[in-house]
Amino acid sequence: MSESVIRVDGLRKSFGGPPVLDSISFEVRPGETFALLGRNGAGKTTTIRILLGLLKPDRGSVEVAGSDPQVHPLAVRSRVGYLAEDQAMYEWMTPVELCRFLQPFYPTWDAGLTDKLLDRFELPRQTRIEHLSKGQTVKLGLAVALAYRPEIAILDDPALGLDPIARKEFNRDLIDWLQAEGRTVIYSSHLLDEVETVADRVAILDAGRIVRLEQTDVLRERVQRIVLPIETARLLPRPDGLLDLRQHADHVEVVVDGIDAFLRDLAQVGIEGEPAELTLDEIFAAFVIGRPKGWPEATSPVIAR
Amino acid sequence: MLLHIQKGSSTPISRQIRDQIREQCLSGVLKPGDRLPSVRELARELAVNVNTVFRVYERLASEQLIELRHGDGTYVLPPPGGDDAGLAEQRGRFESEFDQLIHRGLLLGLTPADLKARLNRALRSAARAAK
Repeated sequence: MSESVIRVDGLRKSFGGPPVLDSISFEVRPGETFALLGRNGAGKTTTIRILLGLLKPDRGSVEVAGSDPQVHPLAVRSRVGYLAEDQAMYEWMTPVELCRFLQPFYPTWDAGLTDKLLDRFELPRQTRIEHLSKGQTVKLGLAVALAYRPEIAILDDPALGLDPIARKEFNRDLIDWLQAEGRTVIYSSHLLDEVETVADRVAILDAGRIVRLEQTDVLRERVQRIVLPIETARLLPRPDGLLDLRQHADHVEVVVDGIDAFLRDLAQVGIEGEPAELTLDEIFAAFVIGRPKGWPEATSPVIAR
Repeated sequence: MLLHIQKGSSTPISRQIRDQIREQCLSGVLKPGDRLPSVRELARELAVNVNTVFRVYERLASEQLIELRHGDGTYVLPPPGGDDAGLAEQRGRFESEFDQLIHRGLLLGLTPADLKARLNRALRSAARAAK
């Protein structure tokens, strides 16, 4: 059961220039919902394309459902449902025509399920895809990706371009049709509030590297902000896991990954810290654009900026 | 069961769900013997991870507020100890949070009239939501 269905080890990829992915390693367990978070250009789509065998890594190994996507791309594709970012579909086809067209490519295609999904997602069957709304197009993409009952679903920024209501509906479908069925889901997103409600674990990607990989709940507990008088900060060593430090005239504001240990350090000098919880957005920002440089020195005066 | 989940809040989703169910159990909105939605139903309703809802139910069960009957469903238990200590504690905590919130509003330059108007609006929208 604990055997991973996706295993990525030491992935590196460049398109001629500096690497767009560097030392990417992670594993996804069966039934888990795993989110790749990152800004545009962080490497989310490149990672996903390598998982599907659409791109060849320069270095490192990949295994999806027991196969190397470079060696057995068809074995991988038949077990993975893929919803591409800004999926380009055959605009002149209707949803029914699209399904009829795709069916022969997938031996496990389930026409009955497809029918049910088109109903459930309230998709007009005889309207050309070019006339569907963005939300409907994404739902059609999801229906098609589920129609052959894949064990794994890989969704590249499915919420891109959806309004908040459509995003909530999409999350609901994801929970109902994938999570509750025990499927494994990998999806990428830059909308962190959405991710928090559905992801078991998150990997924060920045400039081609995973800067943090953790259970969503644990991350929220570990990473917190605390405001301290500068005099207090001077009594302490620079905390491990410091993500962001802002020095003001008489106090400092710090975001720490590992707030428990820092609170213990504070207790040692007789201070009871009052940490504040952060939103996933703030946590993400601390990892990606936080400035953990420096720490108030015990001896030299600190100049406020 | 009426729950209101706020996304993008600094309070984690799991705690929002847990606190609201707990409060409803202690205040009697949910009565002993009431059946809660299944994990999957609630996950779908709130559009929240199935595992998150499952962990919340497990946690509430360990606090003996609800009971997970295998293969049957999830039911509200009589308040632990049979006294109102839990409710009193919850209300005490609410009052201190409320005071802090008012204090913060004043510090931010809101006038008492602003705050009263805001409270009235919130009460009206809560009444509408409860219908």
